[in-house]
Amino acid sequence: MDGFALRALNAIVGNALGSPALEWALGGGTLTFQGDCIMAIGGARARATLGGQTIPPFTTCYARAGEQLIVEQLTAGRFLYIAFSGGIDVPEILGSRSTYLPGHFGGYSGRLIAHDDSLLLGPRPASTPSEGFACPPELLPRYESSAVRITRGPHADLFDDVAWRTLTETEFTVSTASDRTGYKLKGQLVTHAAGDLPSDPGCQGAIQVPGDGTPIVLMADAPTVGGYPKIAVVAEADLPIFAQRSPGAAVRFQLVTIEQSQRALRHRSSDLYTIGATGAASA
Amino acid sequence: MSQTELRAVPLGDSAVMIVLGKERSTELLNRVHATAATLAVKKLPDVHDIVPAYLGVAVFYDSLHASYGEMSAKLLEVCERGSDSTDASANLREHEIPVTYDGPDLADVSAACGLSPEEVVARHSGRRYSVDLLGFVPGFGYLSELDPSLRLPRLAQPRPRVSAGSVAIAGAQTAVYPLDTPGGWHIIGRTDTQMFDPERDPPSLLRAGDTVRFVPVQ
Repeated sequence: MDGFALRALNAIVGNALGSPALEWALGGGTLTFQGDCIMAIGGARARATLGGQTIPPFTTCYARAGEQLIVEQLTAGRFLYIAFSGGIDVPEILGSRSTYLPGHFGGYSGRLIAHDDSLLLGPRPASTPSEGFACPPELLPRYESSAVRITRGPHADLFDDVAWRTLTETEFTVSTASDRTGYKLKGQLVTHAAGDLPSDPGCQGAIQVPGDGTPIVLMADAPTVGGYPKIAVVAEADLPIFAQRSPGAAVRFQLVTIEQSQRALRHRSSDLYTIGATGAASA
Repeated sequence: MSQTELRAVPLGDSAVMIVLGKERSTELLNRVHATAATLAVKKLPDVHDIVPAYLGVAVFYDSLHASYGEMSAKLLEVCERGSDSTDASANLREHEIPVTYDGPDLADVSAACGLSPEEVVARHSGRRYSVDLLGFVPGFGYLSELDPSLRLPRLAQPRPRVSAGSVAIAGAQTAVYPLDTPGGWHIIGRTDTQMFDPERDPPSLLRAGDTVRFVPVQ
């Protein structure tokens, strides 16, 4: 869901950016290390300890065999990522090592991690970073911000000025009806007379508006096509911020051009590169 | 159809929607499939996925290497030049899917259509369907067109769980559920045919443009 946190954490523990890591939602829990490794947590804010010591976000920690990582609670945001040097050793399916829960395949046997599961790590990367390397905070997304940039969607013209003003000038909150498939938004209705359309491709971040005027933002597990008009699409650079908004959290959409949005995405990508390069230099 | 209908719109930072027309039709769908085939054959750099639908094709690309302006211009050029020379039918296949017609909605469908269950089965299995597009979940093909006497609106209350292999109808379409998912279509039968297998290449049995026939089994 928060691809930036995943990549940034992989970068600081010395992995390829897309290496398999844990995505952790909702409550607390404990991991016990059976061997030594460098690890880091980040994304949602969490109260977490390693071997009894509080650990800061986006900072490399050295976990020794027998030590426990205890995630007490997520205090802000909704998805915590935990990356380990070497990555989690799971098979590649259809070009991915992530879990697709609706299809019961991918990742760790196509299911959620459960009590007493054992996770194997891959071979340690050639240059393992040192302990205590922290990601420069200015390179991280502004998770505390409610501002989320959007670009015009494929059906932008089917919405009138009133609908557009509602979308870009009023505040929405993330509904409790939100999961890995999509986030429903609460707020003023974004009305339109477009009806349902022949099924059309969507993408992560697409804001579709069913006939009742309640926008739904498609997320990681969304279907590839759908019949509701798509008024706009969340800028990929801001998807991490949006994905981390908890139910009840505010969102304000800012319309930008596709050129501005792609520039922001390249900026994020170069920030990731910088994080990886500084991390490697600290090794 | 005039080429002026061909246009590109962004679908977020990493996809271009190539729009070929406004109204759904068999003729347009054929052009969509031909365009998707043309783009697939070209293997353009930075393009990593092509998703055909009813009115056009979405092309997913690496936007760190190609801007929207560059990518959309290149795609429009390829589509304008290539769409009538490609033989999209070359790779299409015909599938026969055996079906046990004992679905939980067969009696209701039969009553709603004023036909005997045997007649519902005969009409459902008595024609060849084309795969309009794949969507919803992996391997789910939207097949058309259903016999006009069998067309019903979706269930008022979708089921929270429909088993993989369920054969169902809704509106002018029929489909096989590839995975256990929620679903609002009328289930009239089931098949053991595996519609989606992540370990198979390609994983989806159906491809857009293929044809399907359902064969009743006892």
